[in-house]
Amino acid sequence: MKILRWSILAGYLTIALLPLIWLAFTSLKSQPEAISTTPGMLPSLTERLEDSGGFRFTVTKEAYGRLQETHTGASHSFISYLSNSILIGLMSTVAAVALGTACAYGFSRFRVAGAHDWLFFILSTRFLPPLAVVVPILMMYRQFDLQNTHLGLILLYTSFNLSLAVWLMKGFIDEIPKAYEEAALVDGYSHLHVFWTIIVPRARTGMAVTAVFCLISAWNEYAFALTLNNTRAVTVPVYFAGLQGNIQGVPWPQIAAGVILFAIPIVVFTILVRKHLLRGVTFGTIKQ
Amino acid sequence: MTKAELHTQRLKHVFIMPALVFLIALNIFPLLYNVILAFSDAELSGGDWQFIGGDNFAEVFEEPRFGTAIRTTATFVFLAVTAELLIGFILALTLREPFKGKSAVLTFLLVPMMLSPAVMGLYWNLILNGHYGILNFVLNLSGFGQPQWLTDPDLKLFSVLLVDIWMWSPFMMLIALAGLQAIPRHLYEAAAIDRASRFTVFWRITLPLCAPLLFLSVLFRTTDALKQFDLIMAITGPNDTATQTLSALLYQVMLRDYNIGLGSAYALVILVIVIALASVFIRYIDTVQRRQGRASP
Amino acid sequence: MIPCHSRARRVPVYASLLLTFIFLSCGGSETPTKPTVTVWWAQWEPADGLQELGNAFEAETGIAVNVNQIPWGSYQDQVFLNFGNNRTDFDIVIGDSQWIGRGATKGLYVELTDWLPTAIDMDRVHPRAARYLCEYPPGSGRFYAAPCETDAIGFAYRKDWFENPAEQSAFMKKYGRDLAPPDTWSEFRDVAEFFTRPGDNRFGCALLTGRGYDSLVMGFQQVMWGYGGSWGSPETFEVAGHVNSKGAVDALEFYKSLMSFAPPGASNLDYAKVLETFTNGSAAMMMDYYAFFPGIVDQMGEKTGFFKMPARGDVRAISLGGQGFSISAKVSEEQQKLAKRFIAWFLETDKQQQWITKKAGFTADVEILDSDAFKEATPYNAPFAESLDHLQDFWNVPVYNELLAVAQQHLGEALDGVASSKEALDTIAEKHEKILRDAGLGN
Repeated sequence: MKILRWSILAGYLTIALLPLIWLAFTSLKSQPEAISTTPGMLPSLTERLEDSGGFRFTVTKEAYGRLQETHTGASHSFISYLSNSILIGLMSTVAAVALGTACAYGFSRFRVAGAHDWLFFILSTRFLPPLAVVVPILMMYRQFDLQNTHLGLILLYTSFNLSLAVWLMKGFIDEIPKAYEEAALVDGYSHLHVFWTIIVPRARTGMAVTAVFCLISAWNEYAFALTLNNTRAVTVPVYFAGLQGNIQGVPWPQIAAGVILFAIPIVVFTILVRKHLLRGVTFGTIKQ
Repeated sequence: MTKAELHTQRLKHVFIMPALVFLIALNIFPLLYNVILAFSDAELSGGDWQFIGGDNFAEVFEEPRFGTAIRTTATFVFLAVTAELLIGFILALTLREPFKGKSAVLTFLLVPMMLSPAVMGLYWNLILNGHYGILNFVLNLSGFGQPQWLTDPDLKLFSVLLVDIWMWSPFMMLIALAGLQAIPRHLYEAAAIDRASRFTVFWRITLPLCAPLLFLSVLFRTTDALKQFDLIMAITGPNDTATQTLSALLYQVMLRDYNIGLGSAYALVILVIVIALASVFIRYIDTVQRRQGRASP
Repeated sequence: MIPCHSRARRVPVYASLLLTFIFLSCGGSETPTKPTVTVWWAQWEPADGLQELGNAFEAETGIAVNVNQIPWGSYQDQVFLNFGNNRTDFDIVIGDSQWIGRGATKGLYVELTDWLPTAIDMDRVHPRAARYLCEYPPGSGRFYAAPCETDAIGFAYRKDWFENPAEQSAFMKKYGRDLAPPDTWSEFRDVAEFFTRPGDNRFGCALLTGRGYDSLVMGFQQVMWGYGGSWGSPETFEVAGHVNSKGAVDALEFYKSLMSFAPPGASNLDYAKVLETFTNGSAAMMMDYYAFFPGIVDQMGEKTGFFKMPARGDVRAISLGGQGFSISAKVSEEQQKLAKRFIAWFLETDKQQQWITKKAGFTADVEILDSDAFKEATPYNAPFAESLDHLQDFWNVPVYNELLAVAQQHLGEALDGVASSKEALDTIAEKHEKILRDAGLGN
């Protein structure tokens, strides 16, 4: 049994990680090497490839250098796109988690008429194909001058993530025993006070988990980032789209390098909250 | 009603309203507008439009691409979610017991789901390239020939599936693992005293207790898989018969054919399908939970 | 006693700080103070060149030119979404040749019929470029665009392979003639066959077959025209008997047969992928737009040569590419005037002389095209200049996009072997007739 378990895990891990390793290798290659019909399979640090045997490629940091430059397809450096992504990703995550937590608390602790229907409505906002709303959203955004602004994307991503946030957070808040709050309310403290001092600290695990999911989806959103913006507030996925018009061909090493740098912040974030992750995703369906 | 109760009634709005207002503003308005457009002959490039009654809906159901897209979407969603559920659940079982380095393994497993589907779709194009892609290079060396992932009409959908499964199995794994770890120890201890077989324990304790959570994760994955667009766009494009799912068809009609009216009708039809599926799902989850004597979420 | 976490108490403070930060960071957009012409174009090298010329224009006139580059993948979507508004964000859009029908008939593009001949002597504009890039309907003499990037499809080939004496004698032995860049489709087939050596990972050709947007149609239609087929009659909009004529079916069979001289997986290659297939040394000949050829020279230098699209009999047909300047009808008169000023300036011969020195900048100016200086400047300029006489375009009627999607989808099915060539073209004919009829074209 144990052997079976380990071999499944090791096998899957290998298969799942190979594309990522290949991605890392691609980021260290030159363009001709990246599209070669006899690709180098292992990196070699020596200048002369003959010294290191077959199937090797020479490591170059060229692609990472290109990311810092502005050139065709990248009117700003990668870093500037990345800072837009960070601002928009963080803000929309904070907003979605904050609004979602408050809303979940409301549904969890108060009697709300038609609560079940409201919750289904909240969930159903996730069903709408994003393309269906692109035209109305564009119209609204023009009306309120939100095109090409960070705020526009922040609002949009917050709304995309809000349903998930409410559902996840409701699961967590339902699990928090009511005894503390009741004591506090009897002592004359307000619901707002109770929310800040009792619920929020105890729901921190849930907030961390919700934040990871919200951040992942806001971080990687592509269609609206591409359609709503073309000058300012352009996020990293748009950077990659821009590189594809290059008349030299798609610059694979640069794309690979970009993907890696773009993934680092979110991987670090996940590592920071990983101990919450496991406890987090029960959606309140299983009580401990 | 006492003053305090009145205050409480008002206060709940403070908590609930911001989120609801937000969702209504950014969903209900566009949706209503979408409904209006669905009965019109509006075009992407603007200009005057008029109401044309239900013509768009008639066209949706007459369009041969629509039937094909439903089949393609059903195949895609079914295979993707099933495979992700199975892989995710099996992985979760292997990760159940604590071991050294578990959190590192977990983090590595989660990486594919953190990457941007649009860009990874593009990159998988290079991996799957029939001529100089690394996958075929390795397969060829090991004597498996060169399957044409991106051009063989029987393989194209499978290639998109492959990437979707690679990206989203970790999501299922995470949720299944959370469910497994939340199962109270004492149940297993009781089963051990009863000398229940491994199979019985799995079938009677592990699976039923995980089920509600798995259903919910299947619900989330299903709705997301139904909307899967970035990968298809990057791997085969929106106009390929073999991979034209409902989302791809919607994009094609709305943005490539410039037919906003017809596209909006498609969007509504898709929305109705998803909501119908979802309510069946949710009712099922409710039933399962009630059977287990738990309050519905 | 309430357990009070000090960290929790600070949360409102953080929240308000964050909110302030949001509003600060999202402050209103600055309004331009000096006159500015905003141009929208796809994100690629020629747009950089145009921006450089725009900077020179600003230095001369004080009118700023801002070339806003949008990724190719969403360029079309964004332009037409933007046209959906009462006022567009751009004054000039550098639109694909096929967009012109929609732009002209839906009130999106300003008609330039009276103005364009005053800005440039129309005799200087290559007639084919004028016909397909600027006029709508073609040949009507009504202008809706001015030439900007004039492009055509051509071939790049491995000069080093072609000039290798061993290859030359082997070719002579097998085919009884000299190994040279092919001038007809049957010669092309032979050369492609000759260089196809799967064991050495070498193949004869890489052709445009991509399904994502329009590359399969752009590649195939040149052969179709050569074989006597066409998309239909531009006067009567009759399609059946043209697109599914025997010539067209033979052409599709021929195009498909060339796949056996192409690398594995070459039945779905877009403009970027053919380029990769060529630069990694897999193909002897590669079909692409001239705009990509400077990129090939950068990467492969002396190893490559270029030739124009082969002919069949005396018919040589080449897909037009490129984009023209169109002025948005949805901006103010003053902005339209500024836009015209910039376009007129750009079309002056000395500016065109600069334009062709920019990376992938191609002109429609016949005097420049005819000059030896131009033809000798790069290895691909001479075939480019000769190609313009043979340019043709896909439908550019307002419903071109639906026609294109149908053609792409069913030609793709034919290449994939899901449908036979005849079936695919019959389906295209049937659907095209319906689309054209629904659009009120023909009867």
